[in-house]
Amino acid sequence: MAVPVSQMWTVSSYVIAQKLKRVKRYPLVLMLEPIFRCNLACAGCGKIQYPDHVLDRRLSPEQCWAAADECGAPIVSIPGGEPLIHPEMSEIVRGLVERKKYVYLCTNAVLLERKIEEYQPSKYLTFSIHMDGLRDEHDLAVCRDGVYEVAVKAIKTALKKGFRVTTNTTLFNDANPQRVRAFFDEMMNLGVEGMMISPGYSYDKAPDQHSFLKRERTHDLFSKLLTNRKRGWQFNQSPLFLEFLMGKRDYQCTPWGNPTYNVFGWQKPCYLLQDGYVSDFATLLNETDWDNYGTGRNEKCKDCMVHCGYEATAVEDTFSSWSGFAGTVKATLFSNAT
Amino acid sequence: MSQDQSSQNQEGNLQGSVIRPASDEELSVAVDQAFDYRGDVTIELKSGESIVGYVFGRTHNDTRAELELFPTDKPGQMTIQFADIAAIIFSGKDTAFGQSWETWVQKKKEEGKK
Repeated sequence: MAVPVSQMWTVSSYVIAQKLKRVKRYPLVLMLEPIFRCNLACAGCGKIQYPDHVLDRRLSPEQCWAAADECGAPIVSIPGGEPLIHPEMSEIVRGLVERKKYVYLCTNAVLLERKIEEYQPSKYLTFSIHMDGLRDEHDLAVCRDGVYEVAVKAIKTALKKGFRVTTNTTLFNDANPQRVRAFFDEMMNLGVEGMMISPGYSYDKAPDQHSFLKRERTHDLFSKLLTNRKRGWQFNQSPLFLEFLMGKRDYQCTPWGNPTYNVFGWQKPCYLLQDGYVSDFATLLNETDWDNYGTGRNEKCKDCMVHCGYEATAVEDTFSSWSGFAGTVKATLFSNAT
Repeated sequence: MSQDQSSQNQEGNLQGSVIRPASDEELSVAVDQAFDYRGDVTIELKSGESIVGYVFGRTHNDTRAELELFPTDKPGQMTIQFADIAAIIFSGKDTAFGQSWETWVQKKKEEGKK
């Protein structure tokens, strides 16, 4: 099982509590970006193109903890930039773990072996390693040779020290299904707890504008990847979201499910689009015109099927109806036969 | 709106442009462009003062018309009223502009030929 029972229980009870309270919009995963600076410049990334004085700014531990408290989501994902560049990252993580938040520290792993002694293994902490495929594909995607080998070595070290380790993979339109399936084998053979996969989002600011997936191509690619999947493959994400990627389910985006907080403030409306910032989470929830966003509502959302928009929808579906719950159970138990 | 562009400007890149809005509508468009720009801008105020920084927010509704900026020369953020703006100069490098992906792919192709 890819996600530990305690984490599933925490998320389930949180979602059920929101539903009992009849909360229409609730956060599931806080996307916390304490720093935009990165030690790589990946072609598909639109997150790091800022002047130096912006890249030099970072959130303090107190700001990060306050955002987590204010938001209340049970899971905190820390992407970037490269979080391990932040000199107070281990302190930030320690404070979030003390709050019993399930933390996914998303890293390219270049600095992981050097920094790993600053962290303590915990069921609340997962190193989510950016891996975009086997060696050739990954090094091409991150625009630097040798990063794959560094990441594999860091994964082995982290696992040996008892940390939870997952991989996160962004797939573009040049993805070869057979190579990606071989990559899944490789990652599971390393011993990671599970894998997270998502199609890339076409950032306006990303250097590579030619490689992003369109919706039909996404369905085709993920069907080839996930049909007859091997028994040993574990995915650290909602099984209904994977069915959505395969074109078996039709979902609308729930951008409030993964709210984003960074050096600019709370980002409207989601992790991927930047329509402005507000200073507090309540204002983000209450004053964002959510009906302007999502498939069929906004040109920028047309082809987006990214997990930060749709995974929360899939989780909501699980707990909204018996059919959603049954679908989740079925997909969990029999996914290798899909 | 008067808009001057430096000789270094390339198609689709605002870097080097100077916009002096002649109406509220033109000012609103110029602020949107500054908000979308991934580089520093220089805001010339009607008072004669100039402020250099990164525009990360703007609000334009019935009650407020202002932009938010991280100045380059001090910590914290500033708010500037639309009504105080005389010109917006796209003075800093557009960090999102370039062809680094193509350069990288070309380099990989050349390595493959060796």
